[in-house]
Amino acid sequence: MSDHQEKGHTLAASRRMRWKSIRLIYRREMIDQLRDRRTLFTIAILPILLYPLLGMVLLQISQFKREHPISLCVLGKDHLQVPTPLFNGDEFAEGIAEDSGSIEVIHYDWGTIKLGRDVTEETTRWIQEGRFDLVLVIPPEFLDESARTTQDVANLKLFYDVTSDESRIARDRVLTVLTRWQNLWVRGELAQTGVDESVLNPFRLDEVDVAPQQSKSAAFWSKMLPFIMLVWALTGAFYPAIDLVAGEKERGTLETLLCSPASRAEIVWGKLGAVATASMATALLNCGSMLVTSSMIFKQLTLGTGAAVGAPPLLPMLWLLIALVPLSLLFSAVALSAAALAKSSKEGQYYLMPLMMVTLPLVMIPMLPGTELSAGTSLIPVTGMFLLVRSLVEGDYLVAALHVPMVLGVTSLCLWLAMNWARKQFEDEAVLFGSQEPFDLRRWLALSWKQRDEVPARSISYLCGAVILVALFFAKLSGGEMPTDAGSFAKMVIVPQVTFILLPALVFAVLSSRKPTHALRLKGISWQTAGISVALGALFHPTYLLLGEAVTTLYPMNAQAEEAMRPIADQMSQLPWGLVIVLIAVTPAICEELAFRGVIFSGLLRGRKPFGAIVTTAILFGSSHGVLQQSICATVMGVVLGIVAYRTGSVLPGVLVHFTNNAMSVSLERFASSGLTGVESFLSVSETGIRYQTWWLVTSATMSVFIFWYIIRYLSVKTVPLNGDPNTGNGAGQSIASGGYPNKQAKSHFSTAE
Amino acid sequence: MIDVTSLTKVYPDASRGNFLAVDEVSFEVRSGEIFGLLGANGAGKTTVLRILSTVLAPTSGNATIAGHSVVDEPELVRRKIGFVSNNTAIYDRMTAAEMVEHFGQLHGMSKDEVVVRCDELFKQLRMEDFRNVLGAKMSTGMQQKVSIARALVHDPPVLIFDEATLGLDVMVARNLLAIIRDLRTQGKCLVFSTHIMSEVERLCDQIAIMHRGTILDRGSLIELRERHQENDFEELFFSLVSQHESDETNALIQPLADSELNPHQPTDAVARGEGMR
Repeated sequence: MSDHQEKGHTLAASRRMRWKSIRLIYRREMIDQLRDRRTLFTIAILPILLYPLLGMVLLQISQFKREHPISLCVLGKDHLQVPTPLFNGDEFAEGIAEDSGSIEVIHYDWGTIKLGRDVTEETTRWIQEGRFDLVLVIPPEFLDESARTTQDVANLKLFYDVTSDESRIARDRVLTVLTRWQNLWVRGELAQTGVDESVLNPFRLDEVDVAPQQSKSAAFWSKMLPFIMLVWALTGAFYPAIDLVAGEKERGTLETLLCSPASRAEIVWGKLGAVATASMATALLNCGSMLVTSSMIFKQLTLGTGAAVGAPPLLPMLWLLIALVPLSLLFSAVALSAAALAKSSKEGQYYLMPLMMVTLPLVMIPMLPGTELSAGTSLIPVTGMFLLVRSLVEGDYLVAALHVPMVLGVTSLCLWLAMNWARKQFEDEAVLFGSQEPFDLRRWLALSWKQRDEVPARSISYLCGAVILVALFFAKLSGGEMPTDAGSFAKMVIVPQVTFILLPALVFAVLSSRKPTHALRLKGISWQTAGISVALGALFHPTYLLLGEAVTTLYPMNAQAEEAMRPIADQMSQLPWGLVIVLIAVTPAICEELAFRGVIFSGLLRGRKPFGAIVTTAILFGSSHGVLQQSICATVMGVVLGIVAYRTGSVLPGVLVHFTNNAMSVSLERFASSGLTGVESFLSVSETGIRYQTWWLVTSATMSVFIFWYIIRYLSVKTVPLNGDPNTGNGAGQSIASGGYPNKQAKSHFSTAE
Repeated sequence: MIDVTSLTKVYPDASRGNFLAVDEVSFEVRSGEIFGLLGANGAGKTTVLRILSTVLAPTSGNATIAGHSVVDEPELVRRKIGFVSNNTAIYDRMTAAEMVEHFGQLHGMSKDEVVVRCDELFKQLRMEDFRNVLGAKMSTGMQQKVSIARALVHDPPVLIFDEATLGLDVMVARNLLAIIRDLRTQGKCLVFSTHIMSEVERLCDQIAIMHRGTILDRGSLIELRERHQENDFEELFFSLVSQHESDETNALIQPLADSELNPHQPTDAVARGEGMR
C-alpha cells in the first residue's frame, strides 16, 4: 500500500465516529458531574427531600384547614328575631354547625359601634387588624320581616379578607353553616304552611361514575406525572449543560479537549449523553420520590371532587420512561447548544432561562382542560409526546397508535435539528472562542453605519424583523374597533401595513445600506417573469386554499375567533371589488414583500446558505400574521415566495405572486356568484364554502410545480458565493448576471426602480 | 516537521468590524528545535498556535505538521501534537492520574499502555506525590505539570506551548523550561510562545518576533543580533516594533493626505485599514 493510500485510510478511519471516544468523553463527564455537589444536589438530594417536605406542608395545610379554630364576630345578634334560631345562647344552634370544625363566636351588641361611625369601616378595620377572621353583620332592618326580602339595607353581611388564607377558609366554613340555617328555616316555613318539603327537591339525582378506581387514578396521574417528569427533565439538563460547555470554556479545558483526537461530533455526543443522563436521572428521581410520597399522602387527603386519588398505576407509567428518553435527549441537545453560546457559567444561566420560558408552554399545553391527542396536537413538539403518553397511560391504545407516526416524526425531526444545532455550535469558532469583550451598542451602531454595504448586515435584518413583529403585536393588542364602513375597513388594513411593516422596512433600508434599492431587492424584471409570477400566484392558489382547509381541520378556529372575524368578512363582501383588491391584495403584496423578501431577506442571505435565509424569512413572515392558522399557511407561502425571490434576484416577482394569491382569495366568492359561463367548471359552491373542483386542483397544482421548476431552471440569476464579511464589496447573494435581468434580450422593464 | 505558509486569520467581530489577527505568517520548525514566538499581548501568537493545534481554521494559508495539513487533515494533526496552554486547563474534579489516563485513552492507547506510560511520565516529571490529588486541590506548579504530562502522554513528535510560563512562580517556571530543554534533547519539535524576552534568549533555537499579526523578523538569536546590530535583545525587540508602528502610521496617513489633495480618491481603504487593526 502506498503512503498516499495509507494516509487516506487513516484519515477515513479518523473521520468515522468512534464509539470509544464518545464513551470516554461520556465517562469523564459523568465522573465530573457525580463529583459536583451542585449537580448531585439537583439530581439526587433535592428530589429526595423535596417531596416529603412538600407532602408534610400539604398535610399541615389540610390539617390547618380542617382544625384551625376560626373567630367569627357577630354584630347585632339581637336583630335575629326569626322563627328558626341561628344561635343557641352564644353558640350556633344544634344541628347547624355540625362538621364545620371549631368556630369561635364572639357577639357584639349593635351599640358597640360608636355613634356616628360607619359599620362597614369599623368591621373592615377589625378584620384588617386581625381581631377576627370574619364578621357577620345583622342590621336592625333585619327585624322587619317584610324588609328582609325587599330592601338591601336589611341584608345580612359577611365581611372577610380574600387576601388572608384564614379569612377565606373561615368564610367557606361559615357559609356552610349559614346555608344549613337557611335550609332549616325554609323547611320550617314550609311545614308551617302545610307544604310538603319535597317541593324543594322534586326529583332525586344519583351520579354514577363508571370509571374504575384505577382509571380515576390514571386520569390524575397521567396529567400530573408527565408534567413533573418533563419539567424536571428540562431543569435536570440545564446545569450540567452549562457546566459541561460554558463552564469548560471558562476553565479553559474545552480548548484542551478540542486539541485531542476526538472529533467535534464525538465531543458533542459524549457531552450530550452525560447531560441526557443527568436530565433523565433528575426526572426519574423526582417522579420516584413524588410517587412514594404521594402514595402515602394521598391516602389521607381528598382532592377537589372529593374522590380519593389512589396510588398511580405503576405498569402504565412505564410508557413515561420510554417517552422520557427522546425528550431528555431533545432538551439536552437544546440546552447544550444554548449553553455553548455562553462564555461563562453565569452567562449560561442568562441564555437558558429564556429557553425554559419557551419550552415550558409546550409542557403546559397538555395541562389545559380539554386538550386531547389529535392530528393537530400530535404535531406540536413535546406537547404531542406528552399527550401520546397520556393516552397510553389511560389505556386509549387505538388513539395512541393512530398518532404514533406523527409524534415520533415530529420528535425525531426536532431531535435531529437540535443535534445539528449542537454540533454546529461546536464547530463554530465564533461560538467557541468569540470575543470576550462586552457588546458595545454605540460602537456597533457606528461601525454598522460606517461599514454599511449594498445590503443590510444580517443582524440588522433580524432587528428589522423583530421591530415589525413587536410593532404588529402591540398594534394588535391596542386593537381597534371592528370595521363598519369602507373608511374604517381601509384604515384597519392600511395603517398596520404601512406604519408597522413598510415604514420600518424603508427606514432600515435607508439607514443600513448604501443602496436602499439593493437592500429592498428592487430590480427590474422582464414581462415574461412578470407573467409567469402572476400565473404562479393564480395556479398555486387552489393548493394554498387546500392547505388552509387542512390547517383549519388540524387546528380548528374557535368560535369566538370566527365570530370576531365575521365583520371583516362582511365588509369584504359588501365593499366594491376594486377597493377590496387594492386593500387586501395590492397593499400587503407591496408592503409585506418589500419588508420580508426585501430588506429582511437581502440581509439574511449574507453569510449563510439560501435555505436558511428562505426559511427564516418565511417564519418571520408567518409570525407577522396574528392568527395561528393564518401563520402556518403564510409560512408555507413564505417559503414559496422566498424561493421565487432568491431565484429571480428581485422582490417584484414575489409581489406579483403575493398580489395574485390574495386577489384570488378575495375574488372567489364574487366569481362564484357572477354567473359567468364556465365558472362552475372550476368552482363548486356548497354550504361549507367555495372550493375548487378537484380536476382543477390537481391540474393547477401540477402546473404550478411546472412553473416553479421553470423559474428555478430558466429564470435563476447567478449569485456570488455568500459570506458574512461586511467589508466585501458587492452585496453577497446579489445578482451579477446582466445587471440582474433574467436574460439579456429581455430589456422591457417591468419596474423602473433600478 | 512544522511548515507554516502564509497563514492568515481574520476574526469577524460585530462591534469592531473584521479583525486581522494573523497576517501572512510563514515559518518552519525542525525536529530537535525550539521555535520561539515572541510578541506582546495581542500580537497573534495564540491564534497561530490555535491554528497549528487545529482548534481554529485559518482564513487563508496552510500549515503542515508531521506531513499533515491543518486544513485538510486536522484529525491526523491532532494525533501528532501535544498542546500546553497558558491556562493550565485542569479538571477540578479529576485526579492527576485520571486526567492523564483519560487523554491517553482519547489518543487511542489501551488501558494497560496508558498506565505504564503514566508511571513513566509521573516519575520523569516528579508527580508521584500528587498522583491521586484532585485538580482543585493542586498548586499551580502541580497543575502545570499535569498539563505537560497530559500533552506528553501519547508521546507526540510536536509540542506546542502557548505562554506556558504565564502566572508561574520563578521556581516552577524554571522547572518547566528545564523540561522543555529536555524534550528538545529527545528530538521533539517544539513551538514556544511567550512575551518574556529572557525565556526566548535562553531557550529558543529559532525566534520569530510578532507584532499585530505579522512576523517582523525571524532567525536565530545570533542572526537577529547581527542583522539589527543590537546585542540587547529587549532593545532589538522595541526597535523592531517601533519601526513597524511608524511604518503603519505612515501607511495610514499617506492615503489620507492624498485624499485631501485629490477629493476623488476614495477613503474607504483608510477606514478599512483602521477596522482591520
